[in-house]
Amino acid sequence: MEAIEFKVKWGMVINIDKCTGCGACMVACQAENNIAPMVDGSDKRMTLTWMLVYELSNGKPFPEHDIAYLPRPCMQCGKPSCSTVCPVIATTKDEEGGIVSQIYPRCIGCRYCMAACPYHSRYFNWYDPKWPAGMEKTLNISTSVRPRGVVEKCTFCHHRFMYAKEKARYNGEDPMDLPEDAYIPACAEICPTGAIVFGNLNNPEHKVAKLAKSKYAFRLLERLGTDPQVYYYSEREWVRRQGDNYLPHEKTKGE
Amino acid sequence: MGLDRRGFITFLVGGAVGTLFTPVPWKLADDVSIWSQNWPWIPKLQYGARSEAPSLCKLCPGGCGLSVHKVGKRPVTAQGNKNHPLSQGGVCPLGSSAVQLLYRPARVKGPLKKNNGRFEAISWEEAAQIVADNLKGKKIAALSGDENGSASEVLAGFLKLLGSDDFYFMPSDAQVSQRAWSLMEGKGQLGFDLENSDYVLILGADILSSWGPVVRNQKAFASRKGKFVYAGPVQTGTAATVDKWMPVYPGQEGVLALGICYYLLKMGKSASLKNFGLVRDYILSKYTPSVVEAKTGVSAAQVQKLAQDLVKASAPCVLVGSDFGQGSGAFEWASGILVNLLLGTLNQKGGLVALPENKVITSAPWRSELNQKSFLKFLDEVEQGKAVDGLLVYEANPLYALPQPEQVKTVLEKIPFKVSFSTFLDETAMACDLILPAPHFLERFDDAYTPFGVGQEIYSVAAPVIEPIFSTKSTPDFILEVANKLGVDLGFASFEEVLQAKAESLGTDLESVSAEAYTSDKWLAQNSLSLPVEILATGLETEGEGVFLAPVARNYLGNTKQALTPFEVVVVKEFELQKKDFYIQVNKNTANKLKLKQNGKVKLQGAGGECVARVNITETVMNDVIAAPLGFGHQAWDEFAKGKGDNLFKVLSVKEEKGSGLKVWNRSQVKVVRA
Amino acid sequence: MAKGKSCVVLPFLIGFVGALIVGWGLFPKLLYSEKAQPIRFSHKVHVEDQGMACDECHTFREDGSFAGIPTTEECAECHAEVMGEDPAEAKFVEEYVNEDREVPWLIYQKQPDNVFFSHIAHQDFDCTTCHPDVGNSDTPPVYYENKISGYSKQTMKMWQCERCHAQNGASNACYVCHK
Repeated sequence: MEAIEFKVKWGMVINIDKCTGCGACMVACQAENNIAPMVDGSDKRMTLTWMLVYELSNGKPFPEHDIAYLPRPCMQCGKPSCSTVCPVIATTKDEEGGIVSQIYPRCIGCRYCMAACPYHSRYFNWYDPKWPAGMEKTLNISTSVRPRGVVEKCTFCHHRFMYAKEKARYNGEDPMDLPEDAYIPACAEICPTGAIVFGNLNNPEHKVAKLAKSKYAFRLLERLGTDPQVYYYSEREWVRRQGDNYLPHEKTKGE
Repeated sequence: MGLDRRGFITFLVGGAVGTLFTPVPWKLADDVSIWSQNWPWIPKLQYGARSEAPSLCKLCPGGCGLSVHKVGKRPVTAQGNKNHPLSQGGVCPLGSSAVQLLYRPARVKGPLKKNNGRFEAISWEEAAQIVADNLKGKKIAALSGDENGSASEVLAGFLKLLGSDDFYFMPSDAQVSQRAWSLMEGKGQLGFDLENSDYVLILGADILSSWGPVVRNQKAFASRKGKFVYAGPVQTGTAATVDKWMPVYPGQEGVLALGICYYLLKMGKSASLKNFGLVRDYILSKYTPSVVEAKTGVSAAQVQKLAQDLVKASAPCVLVGSDFGQGSGAFEWASGILVNLLLGTLNQKGGLVALPENKVITSAPWRSELNQKSFLKFLDEVEQGKAVDGLLVYEANPLYALPQPEQVKTVLEKIPFKVSFSTFLDETAMACDLILPAPHFLERFDDAYTPFGVGQEIYSVAAPVIEPIFSTKSTPDFILEVANKLGVDLGFASFEEVLQAKAESLGTDLESVSAEAYTSDKWLAQNSLSLPVEILATGLETEGEGVFLAPVARNYLGNTKQALTPFEVVVVKEFELQKKDFYIQVNKNTANKLKLKQNGKVKLQGAGGECVARVNITETVMNDVIAAPLGFGHQAWDEFAKGKGDNLFKVLSVKEEKGSGLKVWNRSQVKVVRA
Repeated sequence: MAKGKSCVVLPFLIGFVGALIVGWGLFPKLLYSEKAQPIRFSHKVHVEDQGMACDECHTFREDGSFAGIPTTEECAECHAEVMGEDPAEAKFVEEYVNEDREVPWLIYQKQPDNVFFSHIAHQDFDCTTCHPDVGNSDTPPVYYENKISGYSKQTMKMWQCERCHAQNGASNACYVCHK
């Protein structure tokens, strides 16, 4: 599949060694993106969690057991599996910056993209969203409100990118050359330990570009060829090992 | 020529073909498709100017500064305030859901009075009169969950002027540390200068998940200069990120601390205590490595290594606290303080620091005095017949968040007049005679002075971000109104005046401190300290029968004041809660010993109550310990929290601590039977 | 029965022409309902008589967003009390300023929630490229609301934006305009 090369490539590096699994990123994402609260969150096939924190285990018994947390937004793949299968082009990767778009009015709800995404980053609105009386007054103007029957996913808070471009234009600056702190998604901004770092992977000055080059940085399911724009960082080998389906004799990058 | 059937049909065909040459079919198709995407029950966005307003989160005693994002007049999200020292741009999941809590279904919409078991609406004037009538000349008690706000100062001062000494805070490490420190003749409020330490040893307290000023702890950890080591029974969020996790049995952090002291003493370290010799001899003879190993589960070699690493560090900091933020005793704190004293880090950069106090209400006792009073002791006195005519409950939920809440309810039934100022319909409010709702913190003026656990004096004030949505009244303003009715003079006409006075007492003013938090680097010098040896005996007590329980507090499950918030529901993991069942966590070894199976239903039986749960087998818990989450089992609130799981507080066992007058419940043991 | 050829052409033509008339003439009248703005705002009074400039009300905020139509608060900077004799102004002050309510203006160019239109990205264009020239009107033009979709008759459709973008070399990536 032909992948477009963008001048700006928005990406993240998530430091697993700093993530305490607090879930602030998950809550901030819901508040920022008008995701309706759910009464029963037990069935994880029905919940809408654009950002989801997984608990990782090294599989060893106590006391050798080690634990880690992995926040998983949409990978904004360089070669997305989702947009190639969409029958109506409700999702594409065609905007400068490399964020995979998700257009709700065009989505027909066939969920082919959900089947294609290897990261389970996409979620389906089984029901119409329901806000408790009055809580709809806290709706953000960032994203449209989705009805039932459409798929949604993390957008790297794309609306904040739009706001940053508007502000740059107001100040007479180039909207395609934003400073590092002009645009940051809600999850990265709120993380209390600063585990989520965001920026332009193509700009060597940005922190993400430097961290992504580290030998401890890895991407999930890298060998599938999806070219994700979300990197993870861990100095623990067992964590890096969980990033892909390694055979017992295969080494991970940082070893 | 008439219109026959063929002509008519041709006419229709002509019409159909003609319609294709008009915009009708295309426009209709387009418009109908748009109509099908605009169901009237899907909310439309309300646009407006985007802005940010600073605020202060009062959902926990952490005191984080918030930056509330607004669209027009509506707050939409609560984010961290980059300029606030305790937030630095971060917020925990509770604070993050703060805006949506404005419309949580459990919100109390106006003053309510209980009439024959049902609540009916009354006016604020009526409420003030009823309260005044029921307080005049009576013996009143008050319970507050707001550890660091001036509202508690107003309430405490009011009670004192009514002739009552019965003002209590909800139990927490803030209180226990004060009790221990005061028994040691220490002055001021203890704090930890984590930001400047190069070796932080955390004994018990889950500082990166739920203990103290969590966000500030996480920020200090993120920018750390050295190592962080965490000793606790469960691999929580703190264990996932620190350099080393050391499994310790629940509630044994005090013994571990003394185990470290043993090695420090052997290395020749000393502390300037009046009775140092006595203390040293006691520890060296009683808290030998084998005793410590048996009690804590930590090997002697590991304890020795800890001591050596602490000595090697240039600015070590030992932070002791309860695994779940409450229930520990003066023993744990005194032991933890002692380690710091032996390392010489008291009032040193990166160490244990003593912070100043402040008050502006003359009649109110100092926070250090109020922190030493035990609400559980008070409940004992009431049970034994102490006459109490009324109880005022502010920002606290004792009928849920105290150990053995069912017994607490029975005792509180002896108090004939109870008022709750809760913003939400919590368990305590449901049992009170009056619910006089305080506004949500975003709707009111509030402040936080030096939250417990921080390493510097800090004062923050927040102005309201939105006009009150419902008929609520700021509790300190209401108290001042009632005080006026009773002819009691607290010296201020409004809460805003109190905040102004507080700011001025620190050398600033209300406007400046609302824009930027006030901080200072004042540490209180100490006179001679001493350590009553009888407190140290607690660690040698033999434990009872049953498996040790490690309660786990996590901010994404709510906390002692706030039930699981609407946005936190999806954060709860599938192995923590499934529909109505919550999960206890045991490792395979323990499960085999207790004959427990994955997903099996069990009953936890504690000294005062029992809990029903399911079993999850995970290696994140040490051997012979059952870990279980706090925060489930709500019987009030709304559909987001009610009826999910069971309340672990029911099975906590309470003991009397020798030498301190405190009650402790951090070493609960339970029996597990199949349900 | 008279043996005449039944006319095929005439009924067809009648039907055809009839459909054209109904489709082009009657259908738009039926489809759109006419609405008036809640307040009879006169641009003429403000621009000509009071000498106000367009960008005193229709400005860019400091964050680059477009203020659009001013809020009641902004209008109340002058209209805190009734200043003239016009009953429209009196209605505005009574029902909106005094009640601290926003006026539910009907937006001619209203776009759905899933569209992100950035005025500042288009600041080099003249306002009348997309908006009718109301700068000198005494009464606001009639608002035609589509009875089925709920949007305004003047709401621009996607092809209009796409065409201009394509002609001017601006990106037509989905996310450039959608949210």
